[in-house]
Amino acid sequence: MDFYLGLAQIIGVHTILGLSAYVVMLTGQLSLAQAGFFAIGAYVSGMLTVLAGFHILPAMLVGGLLAGVMACIVGFPALRVKGLMLVIATLAFGEFVRLFFFNFDYQISKGGIAVGPLGGEGFRQIRFFPENGWTSFDVMLFVWGVVIAVMAALWWMDRSRAGAVLRAVGEDELAAQSAGINLTVVKVAAMTAGGFIAGLGGGIYAHYTTHIEHLNFGVILATFAIAYPILGGLSNVFGTLLAVIFIQGVLVEGLRFMGDWRNLLFGALIVLAMNVRPRGLLDERSMALLKGLFTGRDHART
Amino acid sequence: MEDFLFDLIDLVQSIADGLLFGTTYAMIGIGFTLIFGVMDKLNMSYAAAAIAGAYASVAAFALVPLPAPVVFFVAAVAGGVFGYVIYLLCFRFIPLASPLATLMATVGMLLLIDEIVVHETDGMPQPYPALFDDVMIEFGPFGLRGDLMFVFLVSVVAMGLLLYLIYRTRLGIATRAVSQQPVAAQLCGIGLERTNAMTFVITGVLGGVAGAMIGAAVGVLSPLLTLPFTVKGLIVTVIGGLGSIPGAIVAGLLVGAFENAFQFLRGVTERDMYVMLLLFVFLFLRPGGIFSRPAGRD
Repeated sequence: MDFYLGLAQIIGVHTILGLSAYVVMLTGQLSLAQAGFFAIGAYVSGMLTVLAGFHILPAMLVGGLLAGVMACIVGFPALRVKGLMLVIATLAFGEFVRLFFFNFDYQISKGGIAVGPLGGEGFRQIRFFPENGWTSFDVMLFVWGVVIAVMAALWWMDRSRAGAVLRAVGEDELAAQSAGINLTVVKVAAMTAGGFIAGLGGGIYAHYTTHIEHLNFGVILATFAIAYPILGGLSNVFGTLLAVIFIQGVLVEGLRFMGDWRNLLFGALIVLAMNVRPRGLLDERSMALLKGLFTGRDHART
Repeated sequence: MEDFLFDLIDLVQSIADGLLFGTTYAMIGIGFTLIFGVMDKLNMSYAAAAIAGAYASVAAFALVPLPAPVVFFVAAVAGGVFGYVIYLLCFRFIPLASPLATLMATVGMLLLIDEIVVHETDGMPQPYPALFDDVMIEFGPFGLRGDLMFVFLVSVVAMGLLLYLIYRTRLGIATRAVSQQPVAAQLCGIGLERTNAMTFVITGVLGGVAGAMIGAAVGVLSPLLTLPFTVKGLIVTVIGGLGSIPGAIVAGLLVGAFENAFQFLRGVTERDMYVMLLLFVFLFLRPGGIFSRPAGRD
C-alpha cells in the first residue's frame, strides 16, 4: 500500500512540475529552467522548516515566491531574444542553480546535530512530516490538495482573458502584438507564474523525500518537466496529468521488470511518440472527439 | 610578489591550455549552429551523437587494434552515420509546424544515445588513444601539452575543411541557400530534404571528429561527458550568435580559456557557474552574439 501512496505522491509532485512548464509553454516558449526553480523552492522551504521552524505551508509559499522572483529576473533578458535562445539560456540557468547548491553550505547546530544544506552531500533530515506525525496518507492528501488547487487555478485562468492572451501570444506573436498585447509582459508573467508553481512543487518534494541534493535537480528533471506538457498536449491541464501518469506510472514504474532496458525504451518511446503524435497525446482534435462522445455533437468538424 | 608572479604564470598557462581545448567546444558549437542555420531548429542530441561516434571507434578498436589516426577516422564516419539517423528519426517525418515536437524528439534521442552507451559499457569510462601525449613543448616557464596541440591542430584542420565545404563548393552554396530562403532555394531546383540530410551528415562527421578529440584530450570517454558538452556547446552557439560559424569558433576558444582560468582561480566545482554567468552577460549586453551588427537586428 505504501508503494502506491508513494507513487501517488511522485505523480502529484511531477504534475505540479509539468504544469509549471505548461504555463510557460502556452506562450510558445520553452523553459528548461523549471528544475532550477524546483530546486530553489525545495532548498528554501526545506531551510525554512528545518532551520527556522516554519510550518510547511508558509515555507512552501515563500519558496514558491522566491522561485517566481528568480524566474522573473531570468525571464527579462532571455525573453527579449528569440525563442530558441530562451531554451539555451534557461538550460544554462538551471545548471547554474544546480551548481550553486552544489557549492552551498549553510549548517547550524540543532540539538547537537548539524542540520542544513552541505554542498555535494546535500540537505538531509528535512523531517517536517514525521516530526508532526503526518502519515503517508496525510502527505498524499496534502500533495493532491496542492495539485488540485494548481490545476483549478490554471483551468480558471485558461477560461479567463489572461488565458486567451497567453494562447494568442503562443499561436502568433506578430498577430498578438498588433492586437495591442505587450509580448514581454505576457511572457515574463508566464515565466513568473511557472517559477512560482515549480517552487511550490519543490517545497513538497523536499519534505516528502526528506533528503535533497543537487543531483536531483539536473537536466534530466528539466527534461521531464517539459516532456509532460509536450507529450500531453497543450489543449488543457489534463493532458499534462495524463502524460505524468503515463510516464511515471507506466514507463517508470510499470517497466521496472525490464531492468536497465527500461531507460533505453524511455528515450525511444519519446522519439516515437513525437513522430506519431507531434501535437501531443491529448491534442485539440482528440479533445474535440472526446467532447463529441460526451455531448453527442461532433466538434471535430468545426 | 614572487608568489604573485608564479600565480600569474600558472594563470597564463591555464588560459593557454583552455584555448587549445576550446577548439572542441568550437566544433560542437559549429554543429549546433549549422543545423540551426539550415533548419531553424535545435538538435539537442548533437553532442551525445558526437561522443557516441567516439564510442563507436572505441568499439572498433576493441575488435581490431588499430593505430590512433584510424580510430579517429572511424569516429568521424560513425558520427556522420549517427547524424543521418538522427535526421531520419527526429526531423524527417515530424511536420515543420511542430517545432516543440522536434525539440522533444531530439531530447528523447539524447537520452536514448546516452542510455545505449551506458548499457554497452556498463557506465565504465573507456580509455581513449591520444597522439603525442608524451611530448611537451617548453617556452621558458610555459609548456604546451603535445596531445592538446594535436587536438588543436586536428580541430583547426576539420574546421578549415568545413569552411571550405560551406563557402566554396556547390553543396555549401545549396546549404547556405536553404538556410537563407528555403522556398527560393527550392524554386532554384535545390532539393530541400537532400540538402538537410547532407547538412546532418556533414555536422555529424564534424561531431565525430570533435568526439574523438574530446576523448584524446580528456584521455577517457565517459557518459558523464555528454551533458556538459551539450550545455557548453549551446552556450558557445549563443555567445557566437545563433547561425554564425566564425562566431562559434571564437566563442568556443573564449569559453575554453574562460573556464580554465576560473578552474585555476576558483576550483573545479565552481568553474561552470562562471561560464553560465558569461552567457548571461552576453545575453544582457549582446543578445545577438559576438558578430551581430549593433543596430537593426530583428
